[in-house]
Amino acid sequence: MSSTAQVPPVLELRGVHKTYRLGLHVVPALQGVDLLVQPGEMLALTGPSGSGKSTLLNLAGLVDRPDAGEVLFRGRSLAGLSETQATYLRRDAIGFIFQSFNLVPVMTVADNVDYPLFLAGLPVAGRKQRIAEMLRAVGLTEHAKHRPDALSGGQRQRVAIARALVKRPTLVIADEPTASLDSQTADQVFELMRECGHAQRAAFLIASHDPRLVRRCDRIVTMLDGRIVADARERIAA
Amino acid sequence: MNARWLKFAWLNTLRNRRRSIVTAGIAALGTAAILLAGGFALFTYEGLAQISARTTGHLIVAKPEQFLRDEDTPLQNGLDEVATLRAGLLADPAVRHVLPRVEFSGLISNGDKSTVMIAAGIDPDAEFAVKGPFLTLRSGAVLASGERNQVMLGAGLARSLKAEPGSSLTLLVSTTQGALNAQDVSVKGVFSSGIAEVDSRLLYTDVETAQKLLVTQRISSFGVFLNRIEATDPARARIAAALPQLTVQTWLDQALFYKSVKELYNRIFGALGLIIGAIVIFVVANAMAMAIIERTREIGTLRALGTLPAQLIRSFALEGLLLGGAGAALGSLGALAISVALLVFPVEMPPPPGRSSGYPLQISIDPALYGATLGAILLLAMLAAALVARRSVAKPIVEALAHV
Repeated sequence: MSSTAQVPPVLELRGVHKTYRLGLHVVPALQGVDLLVQPGEMLALTGPSGSGKSTLLNLAGLVDRPDAGEVLFRGRSLAGLSETQATYLRRDAIGFIFQSFNLVPVMTVADNVDYPLFLAGLPVAGRKQRIAEMLRAVGLTEHAKHRPDALSGGQRQRVAIARALVKRPTLVIADEPTASLDSQTADQVFELMRECGHAQRAAFLIASHDPRLVRRCDRIVTMLDGRIVADARERIAA
Repeated sequence: MNARWLKFAWLNTLRNRRRSIVTAGIAALGTAAILLAGGFALFTYEGLAQISARTTGHLIVAKPEQFLRDEDTPLQNGLDEVATLRAGLLADPAVRHVLPRVEFSGLISNGDKSTVMIAAGIDPDAEFAVKGPFLTLRSGAVLASGERNQVMLGAGLARSLKAEPGSSLTLLVSTTQGALNAQDVSVKGVFSSGIAEVDSRLLYTDVETAQKLLVTQRISSFGVFLNRIEATDPARARIAAALPQLTVQTWLDQALFYKSVKELYNRIFGALGLIIGAIVIFVVANAMAMAIIERTREIGTLRALGTLPAQLIRSFALEGLLLGGAGAALGSLGALAISVALLVFPVEMPPPPGRSSGYPLQISIDPALYGATLGAILLLAMLAAALVARRSVAKPIVEALAHV
């Protein structure tokens, strides 16, 4: 028995359903989704618009709750979790990377990266060291004092990656992280995510339409109409 | 409160500087308006309190009946053994002066014309020494102790009788026994009390002339002047205990005008304060509402990153506090500058209704008023911001992140 077999999956979705109301219409966003994400795994979620990728990311990132089914994080069911407990769990264990970067414009690069550590209540000295390491890792040491609006799109996404990884999360949720970038910058950003993620053994759940990015992930899950219709690793294993 | 949140709030207030300046500016105007109006009211109260206490004395000592009903004959309820009583009152450590007063009324005539007078017999030297320039001397001189059969007339009364300093007049009164008595007097001076109705009837003479005219040794009351107006209540308690057969009233008991003005001003300026407070709330709430709508997506991001709703509400409340605080500080400085400027460059206000002289416009600089106003503006601004933020922060994260 290997030691990895005893480690619970980072994320497990069991028969998850989620519907939205759009006026009088009820839209089934997820219809009985089952999914396991292992530690350190880089999983690409792909599929057409409206297939349920973002909804799945929202549930995985604990910013939304399923109508039915169960979400387990590190083997623990989130069903009875209060809003405050969910907030603490996001703060401590989940990183977010958004398509539009979503940096706080009034904060410097260093302050943006520092924010999750500040929220977690880490001592200032320890935070400074981790910020410096993270900025070095994403190649933005010289831009630490700059505001986001002084950076290029690629640089901003690197700041967002640093902000997501600085707290050493178990899971990183990335919603179209390269959609706002040109192909060369997108490649660089993806490589950065892979390097930093592997170094920290963080699992990545990446929603993307970009086939070049998707192909480079460890596993490709394809969604259609709220269901998983293909799981590349499983297919390969089969 | 972590300084990081304060810094974050400060940086957020700088996002839209024009809006922040307008918000803080309105808070500043509101603060200045409250402080100036409140300071003016306080100055008026202080002035009226001093005038009231100076007119009657801080304490008025008389027989109980003197305060309860009109006399059938002059000095029916007057005080006897005046010298003993005065010595006893002066023995109190807080008492500075004790001034006798004989109040009576009757007719005054220039030979051709008679009119009603309201007269007060006073101890002139002590009265003018204690009260200071409480009358405006229009002509002639003030009374002096030891001079008998001399009077000072109110300006209206003098005009009615065509009297001037040196004129001879006749006072006609009922004595304490009910008989008629007359006394020729000479006009020493003409004064104005500042109140036209009073000036048309009032006359001052010395106590001895009044007692001689009324054929009595009594006086109506003693006006007791203390070292400080704040000593009024303790001194009243001591004197009342020492003289249980007499009634001791304070200046406030007799200051009907002071009480009326205070009640009126409290209502006017209270309503003004409420209106200004409401304006500050609306302005800060409006500014914060716009800021929050603009930052809905950012709120979603911060919530996703693990910020508690309470932390975000606190951050927005701090923004309100900074805006309100900057406005309150500016408004306080402005009010302070105007108050000081009015001391250096006096502005005379026109006479109020019923009075014949104006008064200097001054604004009291009261630390308690400044503290309370600053505190109230800060609290209102903070509460307005927190209330507006509460709903937005509670919005589902997914919705906030999707906000465009």
